[in-house]
Amino acid sequence: MKRIAIVGMPNTGKSTFFNRLTGSSSRVGNWPGVTVELLGAHTILGGEAVEVVDLPGIYDLHGFSDDEQVVRSFLENNAVDQVVMILNASQLDHQLPLALQIHKLGMQPVLLVNMIDEADQLGIRIDAESLSASLNCPVVLISARNGTGMTAATDALLENMQSVTPVQPSELKAHLHADDEIVSHAELLVSQHVSSPSLLVRKMTERIDRVLLHPVLGLPLFFLAMFLVFQTVYTLGAPLQEAVAWLLELFRGWALDPLANVLPASVFGFLVNGLYDGVGTVASFVPVIILFFFLMAIVEDSGYLARAAYLTDALMARLGLDGRGFVMLLMGFGCNVPALMGTRVMRSRSLRLLSMLVIPFSLCSARLQVFIFITTALFTPKQAPYILFFMYLASFAAAFLTALVFGRRLKSDEPFVLELPPYRKPVLFQVLMRGWHEISHFLRRASTFIITGVILVWWLTHYPEGSTPGGAGTYASMMGDWMKPVLDPIGISSIMSVVLLIGFVAKEIVIGAIVAMTGLEGAALNSYMTTQMDGIQAISFMLFILLYTPCLSTLATQLGESRSWKFTGVSLAWSLGLAWVVSFCFYQGARALGY
Amino acid sequence: MHMEQPQKTLSNLSRLATGETACITGIHAPDDIRLRLQAMGLRTGRVARVIRRTRLGPMQIRVGSVDLIMRRRDAARVTITASQ
Repeated sequence: MKRIAIVGMPNTGKSTFFNRLTGSSSRVGNWPGVTVELLGAHTILGGEAVEVVDLPGIYDLHGFSDDEQVVRSFLENNAVDQVVMILNASQLDHQLPLALQIHKLGMQPVLLVNMIDEADQLGIRIDAESLSASLNCPVVLISARNGTGMTAATDALLENMQSVTPVQPSELKAHLHADDEIVSHAELLVSQHVSSPSLLVRKMTERIDRVLLHPVLGLPLFFLAMFLVFQTVYTLGAPLQEAVAWLLELFRGWALDPLANVLPASVFGFLVNGLYDGVGTVASFVPVIILFFFLMAIVEDSGYLARAAYLTDALMARLGLDGRGFVMLLMGFGCNVPALMGTRVMRSRSLRLLSMLVIPFSLCSARLQVFIFITTALFTPKQAPYILFFMYLASFAAAFLTALVFGRRLKSDEPFVLELPPYRKPVLFQVLMRGWHEISHFLRRASTFIITGVILVWWLTHYPEGSTPGGAGTYASMMGDWMKPVLDPIGISSIMSVVLLIGFVAKEIVIGAIVAMTGLEGAALNSYMTTQMDGIQAISFMLFILLYTPCLSTLATQLGESRSWKFTGVSLAWSLGLAWVVSFCFYQGARALGY
Repeated sequence: MHMEQPQKTLSNLSRLATGETACITGIHAPDDIRLRLQAMGLRTGRVARVIRRTRLGPMQIRVGSVDLIMRRRDAARVTITASQ
């Protein structure tokens, strides 16, 4: 099978093109360097099966960042039949040097000049034919967002692929060294084939930035925007969650409850009260998560994240981090794992390590599920959003504290230079793709972690035979008793401590575990929760869940990315210790004050 | 901050006043950092303009078709002369 590699700078719409070409789902971010994992897909082009690989966005083939090294080592170690380079039409002066670098390596790329619609609006005219002739390689003007020029692009791709002779990876190694002539060559090409107004004016972007990047208003507006996002998630998400829960219950009453007459009581209890209700309750939170990712995708695609980096850099610098670290924290609100991988854009190891130490404190969507569940059960609808917002503040505070504590040991002189992309209207197609991506991600996790976790908890809370389900004498209560000396001082009951133990693997299991353990769901479950904890205990429990460790996947990613057991160990020990101390201070403090 | 007379004390990008333009004459940094700044568009001979700056944090620079945000510390590595 022939292999096509897509290269380009960050922010050129590489991922959008990739999605168009392959129809598979990958995330698109306006923030430079978001595409970090190597995304691959198999697709049919002109009747032939091909493999398409989306390489990370890079500025320079000879650079020193991890992403640049990833691309270099990919090209040096994998035979590539065709390189497709995506360029941003309004920045050819900036982007052609990379194209020339690739060309010089003998890879005969197909150049796709993307965002031609945007360049048109700015009054930039590109003579693709003459540029193609000068470069001696195909140049096609496209807009991956609208799909303009996609047919011409695939045609050019197919035609070029027939004639191209793949460069052997070993030959590339010899060629990959810096060349200054490239830049002057690129400038010559731009002056010959591109005409653009002497002063580029992006009126819309400038007008918006005058407000959003305002020296005084910028930061408050940013926090307001974030607050609105979370408020929307809660106010729209809670009814959605109830609707799904209602549907699942309807199905249960109609299809599953009659089985009680057929199946032995213990089998029915396990399958319906344990497994179905457990997984079902977790599933009822999927709409909330999808909604959250929709909103994050909109923020990300609009280009606002780079503004967030600009606004927060001064604060982050004091903590030894930079604006990108803040953006990664925000990305971590979705899921910590991609946020950790996003730190690959950082060149300095100590800055990367510090960022990776901080990211696990960001309140990911899996923890959000648990918090929505608990706040709904224990607080009034009026209080709940504020408790939730308090959790987000605690998440930031923990991250900042961690940076302060470890920042001195992990100093760096990493330059902070980021591209500020113009604002772009998020594309519905991409946002929907993202939602679908999250559903499939959930189903994948559900089929492994959640089901296993729910079964395990059901077993722990129902055996040995003869014990009261969910009560004394079960394996779970024995384990709870062992942990009592540690968890009692922070107000966590022994039965909930088993949940914490299971939640170590993944926070998605937590709710399912509580359901399986109690055999309750819906309103009955909520009132059960009020017998297990009061408001103060609930907050202490949530603080502990927020801080103690995100999940096993996050730990594995930390280890994989840092390649250091010591770093991962320190991170784990710090978060466990911090979780306990914070919960202890909160719980004992609140009790001492008489709450 | 007060608007200063740019031409006289002008030496590096971090000291260029907001709204002013200047020509880049060089980058003084270790190889890896210099390569990175160059790849982002900060190359000798290009004209740079300061769009806005934060009081303590980074500044927004326009070079050619690219808008960048960078810290003063890094902008200080870029030497300039006033462009006509």
